[in-house]
Amino acid sequence: MSCNCGGNDCSKNSRRDFLVTSLLATAALAGCSDKKNPFIPEDEVVPSGEKVKLLSVDGEIIEIDKAFLKPVPDLPHLSNSEERKGIPGKKFVMVIDLARCKNLRKCQEACNHMHHVHPGQNWIKVLGMEDSDHTAPYWQPTTCMHCDEPPCVKVCPVDATFKRQDGIVLIDSDRCIGCRFCMAACPYSTRVFNWEEPVLPKEVADQHYSCETSLPQKKGTVGKCDFCPDMTRKGELPHCVSACPNGVFFFGDMNEDTVTNGAETFRFSELIRDKAGYRLMEDLGTKPRVYYLPPVNRNFPYQSGLENEKPEEKTKN
Amino acid sequence: MENIAAFSNEQITRDLLPQKFGRRGMIWTGILVLLCLTGAYAYYRQLKYGLVVTSMRDYVSWGIYISNFVFFVAISLVGSLITAIFRLANVKWSTPLTRIAEIIAVSAIVFASLIIIVDMGRPERFMNLFLHGRIQSPIMWDVIVIGTYFFISCLLLYFPLLPDLKILIAFKEKSGKALNKLYRFQGSFWKGTKEQFQISDKAINILCIIIVPVAFCIHTVTSWLFATTYRPGWDSTNFGAYFISGAFLVGAGGVVVAMYIFRKSYHLEKYITEKHFEKMGRIVVLLALLYLYFNINEYLIPAFKMKKPEEAHLTQLFTGEFAALFWFAISIGMIIPILILLFKKGRRPLPVFIAGIMVVIGAWFKRYLIVTPTLLHPFLPMQNVPESYHHYFPSWEEWAIAIGSLSGALLVITFFARIYPIIPIHEIITEQHEEAEKK
Amino acid sequence: MKKLKKNKLLLLFLVFTSMISNTVVGQDSIVAKEIVKLQYFNRNNSLQYLILESILKKGKQIEPQKSKAFKIFLDKDQPENLVAKVMTDDNGKAKAIIPPQLKSIWDSAEQHNFLVVAEASGKEGETPSEFTIRKAKISIDTSSADGTKNISVTVMKYKNGEWLAAKDVEMKIGVQRLGGILPAGESDSYTTDSTGIATSEFKKDSLPGNEYGDLMLVARVEDNDELGNLIVEKPVPWGVVTKTDNGFFNQRALWSTRFRTPLWLLFMAYTIVIGVWGTIIYLVVQLVKIKKIANSTA
Repeated sequence: MSCNCGGNDCSKNSRRDFLVTSLLATAALAGCSDKKNPFIPEDEVVPSGEKVKLLSVDGEIIEIDKAFLKPVPDLPHLSNSEERKGIPGKKFVMVIDLARCKNLRKCQEACNHMHHVHPGQNWIKVLGMEDSDHTAPYWQPTTCMHCDEPPCVKVCPVDATFKRQDGIVLIDSDRCIGCRFCMAACPYSTRVFNWEEPVLPKEVADQHYSCETSLPQKKGTVGKCDFCPDMTRKGELPHCVSACPNGVFFFGDMNEDTVTNGAETFRFSELIRDKAGYRLMEDLGTKPRVYYLPPVNRNFPYQSGLENEKPEEKTKN
Repeated sequence: MENIAAFSNEQITRDLLPQKFGRRGMIWTGILVLLCLTGAYAYYRQLKYGLVVTSMRDYVSWGIYISNFVFFVAISLVGSLITAIFRLANVKWSTPLTRIAEIIAVSAIVFASLIIIVDMGRPERFMNLFLHGRIQSPIMWDVIVIGTYFFISCLLLYFPLLPDLKILIAFKEKSGKALNKLYRFQGSFWKGTKEQFQISDKAINILCIIIVPVAFCIHTVTSWLFATTYRPGWDSTNFGAYFISGAFLVGAGGVVVAMYIFRKSYHLEKYITEKHFEKMGRIVVLLALLYLYFNINEYLIPAFKMKKPEEAHLTQLFTGEFAALFWFAISIGMIIPILILLFKKGRRPLPVFIAGIMVVIGAWFKRYLIVTPTLLHPFLPMQNVPESYHHYFPSWEEWAIAIGSLSGALLVITFFARIYPIIPIHEIITEQHEEAEKK
Repeated sequence: MKKLKKNKLLLLFLVFTSMISNTVVGQDSIVAKEIVKLQYFNRNNSLQYLILESILKKGKQIEPQKSKAFKIFLDKDQPENLVAKVMTDDNGKAKAIIPPQLKSIWDSAEQHNFLVVAEASGKEGETPSEFTIRKAKISIDTSSADGTKNISVTVMKYKNGEWLAAKDVEMKIGVQRLGGILPAGESDSYTTDSTGIATSEFKKDSLPGNEYGDLMLVARVEDNDELGNLIVEKPVPWGVVTKTDNGFFNQRALWSTRFRTPLWLLFMAYTIVIGVWGTIIYLVVQLVKIKKIANSTA
């Protein structure tokens, strides 16, 4: 990747520049103190350079960049090496509250829809768990754990799957040779394989491949939950988090010590402490970035989730 | 070599020169070519439609391609056993078997690499292994070590072939123009001078030493493809030794089978004698006992503890879905051959041959049982997937490709025996002289 | 089950076609309903904008309407009152600002109606969707005394020609975080009292801030019936200095990229490979030697 360095530096600089300018623009608009704003504002956009005039609340005429007119900000095109590095200063983490899950599978639906996952396959699985005969059954949504000691990344022969500085484990489908060693290595069985040519709408199939959107998916390569880094770059939450009507998924940045499901926001360390959060298969030493809150004081009985079982899939094996 | 001692050099050379295919040879080759072509067609379909033509799915992500790969790697270990270890130990009787063992090793390692490419979802990106290779991955270790082993095996095949090439060149009228050209290209520089022999003997000695650790490596690294994961049935520190012992067994079995077939079809009774079968029988018994020991170790110890993930796996093997196949592989691959070969009567050519076939077949299914059942017992329950993801039975394409690759390996051996003397002529002659001098 | 899947596909197809033609295709049992939502945003009492969302509701299913054109008017459905022509994006959303030429209309009233009309609907006299907002102000203030830090947020609305305290306005007060607002105190939301003030104690001790230890305080009124969405931000030095540490990412580990292979592994790999291939090369050289001998004897 040494050959990419020049271009990479370039794009990094331009991104930094754009951050600074747009921050200044917001600060000036808002009339805030000129202290540097450390957070990406919600409506951050790529400045187009063109300005438009608009009416302020007080009826004043102010100027703003034209790009602001888009509801969802356009992000600059990222180079592959930038996508491999990840978002600086972030450490993404997820908390899944098992007490709230009733197997509605809205997370799965949204995820499959947004990532065009092959019918029948799922990146998020909602597992009906029963640890032993006399323990209580519960529903366990399972995403990629984005381990800090990822066994899948260890075994990849070509750097096609990699760990980023923001904690996310991603796949580069342009690099993957389809050996499926990562699938064998993953103890959480989270990875899926594109056994055949994915059926994609034309506009998706034609778009430029990005590791961050995982689109368009490619035949003969591995896919999995990616923590939607394209969404988090925009300051938005992953699709499963915003799709869950019961607020099961919490997502956030460990460096901010905060997780949110959109409606409720908690301090991550307090939430894990107060509700005795845990991680899956701690004994394997994979150090997942997904935490679970135990299924106590549940919002729904386990049985209420059974009606959402799809008949073609068996729960018990 | 007492019974060879009676023959003159000319007699030996005439006996051992490669012969044209007979009618049987033509039929045999024809069938193999046909099977290879079927495999090639199946692979064409796989390239066109993707790995969806196989029965592999997200849980069973490795199927018979990988078990076939492990089988090939295993059988290729024999080259180092017969050639190197015996040579280093100064075991003379194995000389007629060395080339058989080496060509089995070379063709098996070639098809091991091919089958692993077949298993790749993106074979056209094979070069990524070199462009973006990551030394942390056991696959990279395997790529390096298989490449190395292939090269060393080729050298070990080539060096002892040089004196034979000289003989072959001399018999121009028998081999025909095209083959003679090939022989000349490969060995015209061999004059058989003392100096040349000195260098060659030294080189062969070095090769014999270096091939042993490399051969151990290919099989250990292959076992690490499994043992570096957490899965029940694979998560074992014992795996390297377990695989090597199994590889020695199947390799020896393979050599026994090849010996018998070559002996019959090329009428080599004078060179591959009952004594060879007797001795190889003893070796197979020893290796089968060793492999049985590792098997007991590998299954009894986890079964004693019955940790939860292991339990699902082991009960499926012992009494569940895979029980029939498991006990079949254990008995045909180890127990019955041991029972046959323990007795002196069992170590005559035909029973040894039958035991060898059993060992090879048992070994193939054993590899299947190492790969697939484990994948059907993941840590988290198999849910939210179509029903077909819960099972695995190879599709016709997989069978065709697996059988095609096996036929391909046999085809390579067949053609090799057509072109080159399958028993080293020169070495037999020298040994005969040595014998004579001793007397 | 297959049949059901087929039906699903059919349904999707229907939704798709209905989006293209901009007509509502009703199935026998499920009647699709078009819903247009317009939200008014006021950021830091200065920047204001509108977000329009167009969705198609079919039974329980909600689909965003892509690439649909709308006109937004201020107060009256007249060309001179046009705020913007917008086109929804893939999420069915569009954003609009109020152009300077509407200044006189904007200044003339303390309460405004936004009218949304779907363009090219082909239907004459379609009643526009109406959304009303009243002009409002929001401000945030902080104070520290005896080790407790307090945040007070004041909301005022413009009524009868003067700025009055806005009572019973619900809001979130907290720290801006990725995707949400971390409540500053114990409660999730706060309501203004009769003086239009909501207060919260800042209780998040040693919360990580940026590299200077700054936090961004936010007060946010969401979807208020009268006032719309009001947001105000204020940076405060109440956090803990957080330095980003990429030591973890940059270490040489088994999971690192090929450029950060552990040294011991590199050493081992290279030693073995060089040792073995050195020998192989030596052997090849021997072969060449044998060849040379042949040439010299000949």
